[in-house]
Amino acid sequence: MSFDSHNLNVDIPAVMKASANLIPAEADLQNITTETTTNISGNKSKTNSSKNNSKAASNEFVRKLYNILENNEYPDIVRWTARGDSFVVLDTGKFTTKILPNHFKHSNFASFVRQLNKYDFHKIKTKPDDKEKLIYGELSWEFQHPCFRIHDASQLDNIKRKLTSQKKMDDRPPVGVNKNHPSQQNEQGAMHTVSNDTINLLRKRVDGLEKELRMYKDENLNSKVEVQKLNSKYNTVLSSLVAFKTVNENLMNNFNILCSTLVNHGIELPHPLYATGNYHSSKSTGPDSSGNSSKTHNPLPLMVQDTKFHSQQQGVVHQADSMMNISNNTTISPPVKSEESLDLNNIVLRKGFHVLLVEDDAISIQLCSKFLRKYGCTVEVVTDGLSAISTLEKFRYDLVLMDIVMPNLDGATATSIIRSFDNQTPIIAMTGNIEDQDLITYLQHGMNDILAKPFTRDDLHSMLIRYLKDRVPLCEQQSSQQDRRLSSQSSHNQSNTPQQHLQLSVAPQQISPSSTQFPSSNQSQSAFHNTAYDENSHILKKQHT
Amino acid sequence: MIPPEVVNWSILNEIISMDEDDPGFSKSLIIQFFDQAITTFDEMEKQLTTTQNLAELDNLGHFLKGSSAALGLQRIAWVCERIQNLGRRSESTFPEKEILLSTVAESVDIDTVQDSASVAANFTGDDSAYLNAIAKALTQARVEFKLARKELCKYYGEEF
Repeated sequence: MSFDSHNLNVDIPAVMKASANLIPAEADLQNITTETTTNISGNKSKTNSSKNNSKAASNEFVRKLYNILENNEYPDIVRWTARGDSFVVLDTGKFTTKILPNHFKHSNFASFVRQLNKYDFHKIKTKPDDKEKLIYGELSWEFQHPCFRIHDASQLDNIKRKLTSQKKMDDRPPVGVNKNHPSQQNEQGAMHTVSNDTINLLRKRVDGLEKELRMYKDENLNSKVEVQKLNSKYNTVLSSLVAFKTVNENLMNNFNILCSTLVNHGIELPHPLYATGNYHSSKSTGPDSSGNSSKTHNPLPLMVQDTKFHSQQQGVVHQADSMMNISNNTTISPPVKSEESLDLNNIVLRKGFHVLLVEDDAISIQLCSKFLRKYGCTVEVVTDGLSAISTLEKFRYDLVLMDIVMPNLDGATATSIIRSFDNQTPIIAMTGNIEDQDLITYLQHGMNDILAKPFTRDDLHSMLIRYLKDRVPLCEQQSSQQDRRLSSQSSHNQSNTPQQHLQLSVAPQQISPSSTQFPSSNQSQSAFHNTAYDENSHILKKQHT
Repeated sequence: MIPPEVVNWSILNEIISMDEDDPGFSKSLIIQFFDQAITTFDEMEKQLTTTQNLAELDNLGHFLKGSSAALGLQRIAWVCERIQNLGRRSESTFPEKEILLSTVAESVDIDTVQDSASVAANFTGDDSAYLNAIAKALTQARVEFKLARKELCKYYGEEF
C-alpha cells in the first residue's frame, strides 16, 4: 500500500472552534462500554470491508484511520503531525460531521476517542508553551501510538485492542473469520463475552455448591454409619444387660430354693438373708445345682426353662415348687408372682402356627419342616428369596425361617425388602455363617434373630417359644375374630390360609393394637436377646462340631 | 480342626428319633444326602477342571456343608467349609490327607477308603494355591464320604 501524503495544510481556527464544544467528551475516555465498542467496531468494519478488504482484521478501525490519513483526504480536519509519529484532529466539529458518518457510520466524537483509547492510542497533552500547539491550534486533539506512523502500514498489525479483563475470551478473532460478517461477529463476540463471563461465574458457583453437597453427603453417610455402629453396640450392651439380669435372676431363684430347702430341713437361716432372697424370687427355675451351672452359661432363660422343664427334671421341679410354696407360706414377705413365672410354668407352644420356611436345600427343608410339624406348626416352603418376598406379599405367617445363602436372592436382602412392607412378622435367619460381622449384617437387614446351623430340635423350639409364646396363631385369630368358617380348616392345611384381610399391604401403624403381635416393648426385648443368643449359638455350634 | 468322629450322633439321633412318627424318615434323608454329595463332588471336579470358578466352588462347598452338618456328618461338613473358604480366598492351604486321617476316631476302619478318586493338584496361575488346595480338599471330601457311608451302613445294617 502506498499513499500520497502531501499537502498538510491546517485550518487552525476551524479546529479551535469546532473542538471547543467537544472537550467534555474527554471525560468519557475511560468510560468504555461494551455496547459502544461493538457499535463502533461494527460500523467501522463494514465501511472498511467495502472500501479496503486487502487486510481486514481485528484492527480495521486503525487501518481505516490510517488510510484516511495516508490519503490525506481531509488535511484541514485530520492529518499526520509533522514528525509522522502521531496524528492530529484539527477540527473536531468537521471530523464529527463529515468523516465519522462517512467512514465510521456514526457521528459521535467521544465514541471515536474511546475507540482510539481501546487501541491504546494516547492523547498528547497540550502544553501551553508547546510549539506544535501553535501549528495545530489549542483545541486540536493529537493522538499517538508507537506503531501508528506515517507511511508505515507494516506496523499496523501491532496495534491491537487492549485486553480488558472482561474481554479476554474473544477479543482477537482470527483474521479470516471476521472478514465476511465482521459486525455480526463482533456483536456476537460481545454477547458471548458477557454470557461467557456469567456462565463462568455460575459454573464456579455450581462447582462450589456441588463440592459442598458432596461434602455434606459424605458427612451424612459417615454419621449414618456411625449411628449404625452405635446402634449395634447399644444392642450388644443391652443384650449383655439382659443376659446378666437373667443370670442374676437364676442365681437368686436357686438361692431361694436352697434357702427354702434348708429351712425345710430344719436349718435356721439368718433372717435378713433369707428374707432378701425370697423377696426377689419371681421365678421358679431349675432346681438343682447342675441345672443351675449350665444356666449360668446360657443367657436364654426361656429355652433353658423349657428344655429342663420338659425333659429330665420334671419331678424335681415339682418338688421344688412345693418347697417354694412352703417357704412362701412361712416367709414374712411373700414372693411376688410375676407374669413371667406364670409363663415359665406354662410354656407350651400353641398349635397351628403358620411358618414360612425359606430354604434351598432339600435335606434341610425336610428336617426343619419335620421339626416344625412336630411342634404343631403348619409349614410352607419356598426355596429362594424372591419367592419369599412374593409369598409374604400375599399371605401372612406367624414366623419366617430364612436361609441366607440361596439362589436368586439371598435371605438378608430379601428380608430388607420384606421389611419395607412388613415390620411385624418375625424373620429368623438360619445360617452357618455366624461371624460377628455377618450377624450384625443380618440384624441390620431387619432379621429378628439368628438360628445357627446346624441346629437341634431344642434350638428351634426355643426360637419358636421366644417369638410365639405370647401369640395366638393367626388362623385362630381369624376364626375367633372374624371368619368362623376358617375354624373348620385343618391345621395341616398348608396352602394359602385365606387371611386376605390381614394382608401385609396394610401399613404397620394402621393395624390396631389388639391385632399387633409385637408391641414395641416386646419387639425391643427380642432385639436385646439377639446378641445374647448369638453367643449361645456359638456355644451350641461348638457342642456340635 | 477336623472332628475325630465321623458322625455327630447327638444330631443324627435326633433325626432318627423322628422315625417313630415317620418310619424310614432318617434313612430317606441320608440316601438323599448321598446322592446330593456325589452330584456335588462331581460338579466340584467339573468346576476345578474346566472353569476354575472359585465363587462357584465356594457355593458348592457351602451347599454341601449345610446338608452334611444338618445330618451330623461333621467331618464332611468340615471339609466342605474348607472348600467354601478356599473358594472365598480366605484360606489358602489344606492339610495333608495323612494328617487328617490320623485324626479319625480309633473305632473307624480307614483302610478301605484309601483308594478314592482324586483330582490332580497341579494348577498354575493366580489362583493356583486355592485351586490346588480345593483339589486336595475334594479328594479328602470323597474319602470322608466313604467313611461316613461305611459308618451309616453299619448303623442301619444294610448297604446304601
